[in-house]
Amino acid sequence: MSNTQNASHDPAESNRDDRSADAVTQTTAGESQEETQTEWTDYEFRGEPKLSVDDLDVYYGDERALQGITMDIPENSVTALIGPSGCGKSTFLRCLNRMNDRIKSASVDGSVELEGEEIYQDGLDLVTLRKRVGMVFQSPNPFPKTIRDNISYGPRKHGDIETGLLARLLGDDSGEREEKLVERCLKQAALWEEVSDRLDDNALGLSGGQQQRLCIARCLAVDPEVILMDEPASALDPIATAKIEDLIEELAEEYTVVVVTHNMQQAARISDQTAVFLTGGELVEFDDTDKIFENPESQRVEDYVTGKFG
Amino acid sequence: MSERTLRNQSRDPLAVEYSAALAGLSVVPIATFFAAFVVGGLTLAGQRSLGSTILGIEIETVLTALLFVAGGCLLAISVGSRYGVIETTPDRSAGLGVASGFGFVAFSGIGLAMSQTFGLGRLVWAPLALIGGLTVAGAIVFAREDLGVTVPAGLFSVAIGSLVLFDGLTPAWAWSPAGFGVTFNGTVLIPLLTIVAGLVTAWAAANAFEGFGAAGRQAGAFFLIGANATLILLVLLLLIAFIVKNGFWYAVDGIEIGPGLNFHWPFVMDGYDVVLNQKGIYPAIIGTFWLVVGALVMAVPIGVGAAVFLTEYAEEGRFTSVIDIATNGLWSTPSVVFGLFGYAFLVPRLGNNTSLLAGMIVLGFMLLPLVLITSREAIKSVPDEYRDASAALGVSKWETIKDVTIPSAMPGIVTGIIIGIGRIAGETAPILIVTADNPQRSSAPAIMGSFELTTSPPFIVNEALLSGSSALPYQLYGAITTGVVGDDPGYGWATAFVLLLVVLSFYVIGITTRIYFRKKLQA
Ligand SMILES: Nc1ncnc2c1ncn2[C@@H]1O[C@H](COP(=O)(O)OP(=O)(O)OP(=O)(O)O)[C@@H](O)[C@H]1O
Ligand SMILES: [Mg+2]
Repeated sequence: MSNTQNASHDPAESNRDDRSADAVTQTTAGESQEETQTEWTDYEFRGEPKLSVDDLDVYYGDERALQGITMDIPENSVTALIGPSGCGKSTFLRCLNRMNDRIKSASVDGSVELEGEEIYQDGLDLVTLRKRVGMVFQSPNPFPKTIRDNISYGPRKHGDIETGLLARLLGDDSGEREEKLVERCLKQAALWEEVSDRLDDNALGLSGGQQQRLCIARCLAVDPEVILMDEPASALDPIATAKIEDLIEELAEEYTVVVVTHNMQQAARISDQTAVFLTGGELVEFDDTDKIFENPESQRVEDYVTGKFG
Repeated sequence: MSERTLRNQSRDPLAVEYSAALAGLSVVPIATFFAAFVVGGLTLAGQRSLGSTILGIEIETVLTALLFVAGGCLLAISVGSRYGVIETTPDRSAGLGVASGFGFVAFSGIGLAMSQTFGLGRLVWAPLALIGGLTVAGAIVFAREDLGVTVPAGLFSVAIGSLVLFDGLTPAWAWSPAGFGVTFNGTVLIPLLTIVAGLVTAWAAANAFEGFGAAGRQAGAFFLIGANATLILLVLLLLIAFIVKNGFWYAVDGIEIGPGLNFHWPFVMDGYDVVLNQKGIYPAIIGTFWLVVGALVMAVPIGVGAAVFLTEYAEEGRFTSVIDIATNGLWSTPSVVFGLFGYAFLVPRLGNNTSLLAGMIVLGFMLLPLVLITSREAIKSVPDEYRDASAALGVSKWETIKDVTIPSAMPGIVTGIIIGIGRIAGETAPILIVTADNPQRSSAPAIMGSFELTTSPPFIVNEALLSGSSALPYQLYGAITTGVVGDDPGYGWATAFVLLLVVLSFYVIGITTRIYFRKKLQA
């Protein structure tokens, strides 16, 4: 794993204007001359960026999956990532909590800052990073444990909850805290009503939609600041999807949500801003969702969102 | 079936009758097969003789009748289907598999008859048998499927029936092939051939029952698979029944209950002592128990630990594949080699006499590769999604292994251990070499009572671990070789019976554990 981090990138130097300039140069260098005209990089953010990505390249072996991505993800909002299959949306998402470290052939070049702190720096504590930046996967993947254990797994591993014999012997039985946590997370994930009477059942007995919400609850249990979701509703029926969508909008009040989706309507419904990736791993346009869907700068984006090409 | 019935109804009403005829005709050979299997099986097992009677009819006659009935039904089906009286949906040909099968039967039949019965030389019988076999195969290939399946099967059955009926094959018939010191007797061959012919006719009948074609072939295959599974089960049951029948009464002989809490089971609770006139196997039971426990204590932690390391930490590559090859090699190493290693290496270092401890270590080494292989497979098959989910929560690799991976792999790991116990509990050769001193011991090593704390390292010692011991399979071997069994066969069977019980009780523990872990993983 060779995470080349941008040593040259002095945090002070990398302010937003600078990066916009970078991005313009980058697109100029790109094969599409037409794109140089677009001014989307001037996009105004509401508030401080939670995550700022600067000139991010990702390679799988020699294959380049992402090309010089630069974008700032604002706090407490929903950012949708759309684009055709294989354009690198999942890859990008995995860069934000360094899950790409787990793929042997992947190497990352560039900078990602979480509240101004570089996450691709030597000696960064992955545990803390992944606690702060949680992830929900495309297919529901609850552990083969009880519903309760699925939720308390993270906090227990981080020492926030102590249960079991030793804790009881030491007089620190936080069983009550666990109960409260489980209830809070399940309520936040809109699952409490459905499972409150069977917390000790195995999570694999839940339906797909319930499992996915359980995974969201499990992610919330470690108190993340950012939640990354990779097509969280793609395996679900319309009703379960609607539930997840409502949930995402609600979560955005407290959390920064980044969600990959293939469903344009879904992106339009739930997101505040949308990033459009196109084949080859380039970020073509990033703007307010309304703007992207009603009046995009780039012809290619318009073609894509209106379904003319994919 | 239902499709065919529908089609039939749209044609003339009589066709439905014919379908019933097909069903009737094809059920009969299946029924006769079961009858032949039971009657023939009893004869083969020596429970009945061919000359004895069942329902007042001589068994030989019963078997012959079954052959004719089954063959006749099949031939009737073939005629009915050929002339369209019976509605079927055959393919163009029964296929090369069926053709070569029956071709081979024809080749062997003709060859055996000409070489053995008529004494023709190799140069004569071989070409003739070859021509016969090829003719049968060719005829089947070019005939329509309904004929290709039923006619040869029916003829085969009728041919064997005729052979018995016209005394070509009698119970007194015996055949000793030249240069092969075995005699085949009519008493064995008649029931055996009846069962084989019954199997073939029942297969063809199952095929016909569904009207041939894809559905028919599937029915035929299901029949064969079912028969196969039943046979395996029967062999197992037969083995157990045989041992229980021969050993049970000897083993439970002389049990005394009371007065009060007194309980005495001589065979299981006594040693072997000629002076006291005791013939028990208590020392061997205890020996086997401790050997298995000791081997498990040695092998399970190391094996599972190595599996975790190789699967979760080591890079897949030359290193892991060399270890995999070595592990597989170790698993296939004959147990006597492990025994020799123990004798040359362990025994001199452990007090220079055969001992329980040396046996535990050797059996542990034997168990290790199996535990490693099965644990590795079990850990590999844990979905990566679990690991990803755990990593995304910021949980470290080791914590993930401990709390997610190993619990998910537990049923597989336990399965490996169960199989391993089965192997080591019945192992004789290494015990003979590194553990045993006297097969018919009067007393067992007192492991539990011999733990002693000392003030100097290693602080805890157990002298009894260094003493020799017996073990059930070794006891059995010893009883046979020293002639104890010759004088008293029940003693050997009862030992086998108890060995079976001990192994089964280890299984019960293992399987209960596995069920427990599975339950935890499943909804
Ligand atoms: N583990 C990997 N090893 C090698 N190449 C990979 C790996 N994962 C992704 N890629 C490659 O990187 C590119 C981007 O893949 P990615 O999974 O990020 O696409 P995506 O936009 O999420 O597509 P989809 O919408 O189908 O999920 C693809 O060309 C893919 O082949
Ligand atoms: Mg993807």
